Amino acid sequence: MSLTMGLLSREAWAQRLGAFRASPSAYMAAPEGEDLGRDLLSDLRSEKLSEQTKVSMLALSLEYPAQLWPDAPAAEAAATSLLDTLALLPPRPSALRRPLLLAATTALVTGGVLGPTSGASLRLLPLLLGLASGGDLGRRFGPSSDQRPLQATACECLRELESCKPGLLGGCLGLLRGLLGQEGPVAPVQPLSLLLALALRNTLVIQARARASLQGLLTVRAPPPGGGPWNWTLAQEGEAHLQPQAPSWPAAEEECGLSALEPSPEEARELRAAVAQLLDTSYLLTPVAQAQLLWLLGWALRGLRGQPPVLFKPQLVRLLGTAQLALLHAVLALKAAFGEALFTAQDEALLLRRLTLAAQHPALPLPAHLFYLHCLLSFPENCPLGPAGEEAAPLLLEPQLCRGLLPNLLHDPMALLARLHLLCLLCAEDEQKEEKGQAQSPCHYLQELLAGLQQRAALTGGPRALATLCFQASYLVALCLAGHHTVLAPLTHGLAQLYRARPALAPHFVDLLDRVAPELGEPLRVVLRQEVVSRPGGGEALRWHLQMLAKVADRDAQSATLGFLQAAAAHCTDWGLQQALLRVCRALLRAGVGGGLADLLQALARQLEDPDGRDHARLYYVLLSHLSGPKLGVALGPSLAAPALTSSLVAENQGFATALMVQEAPAPIRLSVGRQRAEGPVPVLQLQVEVLEPVYSLELRFRVEGQLYAPLGAVHVPCLCPGRPARPLLLPLQPRRPAPAQLDIRALYTKSTGLTCYTHLPPLPVKFADLFLPFPKLPEGARLGFFEELWDSCLPKGTESRLCCPLGPQGLEALVSRHLEPFVVVARPPTSYHIAIRLPPDSKLLLRLEAAQADGVPVVLRADDWAVLPHVGDYLRGLSAAV
Amino acid sequence: MAQRAVWLISHEPGTPLGGTVRFSRRYPTVEKRAKVFNGTSYVPIPEDGPFLKSLLFELRLLDEDRDFTESRDSCSRINKTSVYGLKVGGEELWPVVAFLKNGIVYACVPLVEQTLSPRPALISISAVSQGFELLFGIQDFLYSSQRIDTELNTKLSQLPDLLLQACPFGTLLDANLQNSLDSISFASVTHPQKQPAWKAGTYKGKPQVSISITEKVKSMQYDKQDIADTWQVVGTVTCKCDLEGIMPNVTISLSLPTNGSPLQDILVHPCVTSLDSAILTSSSLDAMDDSAFSGPYKFPFTPPLESFNLCYYTSQVPVPPILGFYQMKEEEVQLKITVNLKLHESVKNNFEFCEAHIPFYNRGPITHVEYKVSFGQLEVFREKSLLIWIIGQKFPKSMEISLSGTVTFGAKSHEKQPFDHICIGGTAYLKLHFRILDYTLTGCYADQHSVQVFASGKPKISTHRKLISSDYYIWNSKAPAPVTYGSLLL
Repeated sequence: MSLTMGLLSREAWAQRLGAFRASPSAYMAAPEGEDLGRDLLSDLRSEKLSEQTKVSMLALSLEYPAQLWPDAPAAEAAATSLLDTLALLPPRPSALRRPLLLAATTALVTGGVLGPTSGASLRLLPLLLGLASGGDLGRRFGPSSDQRPLQATACECLRELESCKPGLLGGCLGLLRGLLGQEGPVAPVQPLSLLLALALRNTLVIQARARASLQGLLTVRAPPPGGGPWNWTLAQEGEAHLQPQAPSWPAAEEECGLSALEPSPEEARELRAAVAQLLDTSYLLTPVAQAQLLWLLGWALRGLRGQPPVLFKPQLVRLLGTAQLALLHAVLALKAAFGEALFTAQDEALLLRRLTLAAQHPALPLPAHLFYLHCLLSFPENCPLGPAGEEAAPLLLEPQLCRGLLPNLLHDPMALLARLHLLCLLCAEDEQKEEKGQAQSPCHYLQELLAGLQQRAALTGGPRALATLCFQASYLVALCLAGHHTVLAPLTHGLAQLYRARPALAPHFVDLLDRVAPELGEPLRVVLRQEVVSRPGGGEALRWHLQMLAKVADRDAQSATLGFLQAAAAHCTDWGLQQALLRVCRALLRAGVGGGLADLLQALARQLEDPDGRDHARLYYVLLSHLSGPKLGVALGPSLAAPALTSSLVAENQGFATALMVQEAPAPIRLSVGRQRAEGPVPVLQLQVEVLEPVYSLELRFRVEGQLYAPLGAVHVPCLCPGRPARPLLLPLQPRRPAPAQLDIRALYTKSTGLTCYTHLPPLPVKFADLFLPFPKLPEGARLGFFEELWDSCLPKGTESRLCCPLGPQGLEALVSRHLEPFVVVARPPTSYHIAIRLPPDSKLLLRLEAAQADGVPVVLRADDWAVLPHVGDYLRGLSAAV
Repeated sequence: MAQRAVWLISHEPGTPLGGTVRFSRRYPTVEKRAKVFNGTSYVPIPEDGPFLKSLLFELRLLDEDRDFTESRDSCSRINKTSVYGLKVGGEELWPVVAFLKNGIVYACVPLVEQTLSPRPALISISAVSQGFELLFGIQDFLYSSQRIDTELNTKLSQLPDLLLQACPFGTLLDANLQNSLDSISFASVTHPQKQPAWKAGTYKGKPQVSISITEKVKSMQYDKQDIADTWQVVGTVTCKCDLEGIMPNVTISLSLPTNGSPLQDILVHPCVTSLDSAILTSSSLDAMDDSAFSGPYKFPFTPPLESFNLCYYTSQVPVPPILGFYQMKEEEVQLKITVNLKLHESVKNNFEFCEAHIPFYNRGPITHVEYKVSFGQLEVFREKSLLIWIIGQKFPKSMEISLSGTVTFGAKSHEKQPFDHICIGGTAYLKLHFRILDYTLTGCYADQHSVQVFASGKPKISTHRKLISSDYYIWNSKAPAPVTYGSLLL
């Protein structure tokens, strides 16, 4: 296939390129995409194709190299092939040389292969530099008529390479300076100037970062490294930091840190000479290139010691006189870079006036006006007062100067909004000064303007853009002039009138209410509600009124609202209107409107034609009568899961599901067993509870596996808050057998959002010792007898056992007092203790502890139930471990 | 300072896509830098199809604005510059410089050499103004001469080659594309001397300099007690210098007669080499006084090859050339109109043409007109609801003319009759269209003898002047009219 493809005709290529451009991704995904890159390279050498076709093929490779040669090896191979093609061109004028150089450069950069290990790079760089210097290489390379354009193109290629790999040309600064200063038949000034300025700037930044000096880089005029190796040192140092060609101001200043560079007096002189050389010939550059040069040099010298920015001064007057967007922008960049060092207060005022002028000059196009207006409000002042980064009117911009910049109704929407912003800033200032109240005060003018916008938006059948503009203006005013009652009050009034005139704008009103702060939002809500409810509830606009009311209805003016809805209900004949009506009811439910609403809902449940609507009204009624306020709010709140849909039902299904069903959730609750109490008729577990968030109506349910204990009652806690110590919860146990157990625990609770949750907590152990109860206390004299009686009663039915309880360093006394104190009947410290323990439901455990010996405490125990023996053994062993 | 991509899109209302991409160009080496500079906030350039759709939506150029759409109509989506953020594939591509002119959307994406979050201010991005220059340059190239469709297509087909010349790697070398076109043909010329980049070659032939001054006068007249009428002159001085040599120097002086109105707000072409500070500071922002600089206004420059606008200025002449009033009242089923126009005695009474257009918006077609004119003829365009009063070449001796009459309208049908969102109710205007040759309202002229040329040979110097009206409105004084802030400052 590729064989035939390799001989594509001109038409076939045109078709192929067209198909590719229509959708590059689709083309490359198809089978024919596979060979495109290869075919393109081989057909560039075909003698059957015209130069024009080949140029269009190269143009494609300039735009889509990553699609044609997607990886580094392919890019390297492509660049090599392009360079070979270039070398094979016959020595006559050809339109292919320029695009071939551009294409090879593009392939190397986008393939990410530019570097000392790339063969193509090592071929391309000396070639470009040789061409740029206009030496013999160029003459060998092509006919003389191609020389000059090739020289310029080589410079552009080098500039692009330097942009993408800063420092690449650091070693050529001296050479470039020499070329630029050449007398006689000269190299093209513009490409060389831009190349030198960029390389100079990058070198300064890299050397400053490395805290190195300029090392005579400015003066070494090494011959073009045609044979010698390329110097990659600076490029490798600069590699980690791609240099912005024209970094934005002032935030990046610290980052730049050129002050670290301390050029020697000689270096400083050379640097100044280089910059002066560039600036002196800058008038030979096109305006856009002059602007680029100024951005680069401004950045190169900023913060550099011993380089006063006065070098720029001679250029400024010339630049200030032009209307060229790029030039004025570059002057602003210099202003931002050098501030007072280059612009005195008078200069600043002049610049500001020129900018103000340019922002309204009838000879300039609208996009330029708007950009200048932006620059005016972001003007880099010598002494800024306001917070950085916020648009504000500069101090020197007196209201007098702004007269021509104020908006009127004849302006294009964007111009109107931009100028409106300025007007708002003036109004804010104006009000701070004196309350003038005159007809020409900015605030008064603003009101007239807003009234005009409202009037236009009110036009029935007018384009939506006009309405949008009116609401954008209202939003902007509310944003800039929040708290300025004198402006907001008439605005509110005007908007209410607009609604009266054109209720179809309800979606815009809802949007505005969603976005403005309460300063405008609250009063507007009130007047809009009045506007709606004071009408008879019918007519074409009913659906807009209902949409509006769903947004603005709340507890205030309930009776009027309900009255309107009652009247409206009769007109809600179709499904959509009924849904809209129900949405208002829902809003009222959420707002906590009670009594009258219940009547309305009952009426709707009977009256609505649509069964869906009736069901819904009934559901709302049920909810209203059964759920508490907060819970209702949550149940009807906007569901996060469901996007707003036309049917209130769908949205609600989600809301109800979350609110009315119990949610399974990870528990914000931690339970632990506290110290055992050992008193009373039954063992009682003390539970310590902690919560991570407020929890209401907590119900804890317990279950013991294997029916060891009688079923346990639930424990209820009304409210728990994190960080607030809770009283321990008491859980009485009724063992059926004296044995330890696991408590399985489930919790049901309500969160502060009103959602009811259910959770399974980690099981809690009931230890054997938790079941211990003491025998009643007897008088001192009767105790020994009582114990002996118990001791004897254990046998023969029960069991006796002897074991040795290993003892820790604290001795027998400590062991007893810590663990067994409540159960001691007879004590002869430190040698002997008689201990009697009641084990519910009806067992007992008796211990005789003797004086400790080398291997532990001899323990004799008797129990009336042999089944407890293993538990006792575990318990005693645990004791020694615990001590 | 580079552009990542550039597009030209023809706006075609009513078609399924709303437009077609006529030209696009991407710059992958710039894209490579964008990826590094923008970091995690990088959003790639989309293919033409999705870009077209998203851009036309953002510019409100799709026909589907029937319903409220939040992503477009929300009050908080405020654009105050021609720079947009486009939703593309769930991400937002920003900044996109774009504007519509003559049915073509011009768009480009400037490289931002830092992260995009938070968004830097536009003023801090050097590539934004470069992007505007590129788009303005393309626009000038496409519309520099005749606006014939076939020619537009020819020029569009030249664009790929031209941008290869003027913007090979996305960094703009010359916004003047005509110059780039010339430089292709001048390529073989050798250059013994430093050649400006904005001048592709040198002129060979008979030396001549042509200077033409065009003044446009605009006005808003209200005939009301509390609203001031406004008017302003905007001048453009165009030059074409055919002179031999690489850097010929020329100085042109603009002069005013003794009672002439000072030139203000002067903006010059970048080829002007120096500028008097009096010219730089003469501004309409200041209150006028007698000390205002009144010339001569000297402009020394080195001309480019092509015709160029040497400078623009504005001026505040003491009176409008034609002062008038327009009264329109609704009487039952018809409108009663009265118009009065008076030519100021100082103005040259010799028009190339002079007409008053009286449109009626938001009404049905004209069914009946009864009128009386003191001078000239009235033409009635019934379907367009428009009256045109053709005044002709001269005002009568009295300098004052009038028109009165009644106009009746038929039923309104939305599709045919013009809609206007300003002219609501009684708000209405008439608009004057006129042109006077060999005349300027300020009196400004370029004296042939004051033109200094430092080049070989004595050039032939020709000068031209004309005054044309532009946005010359007279509002119905019987109803509210849109005012500018300046009109309130009585």
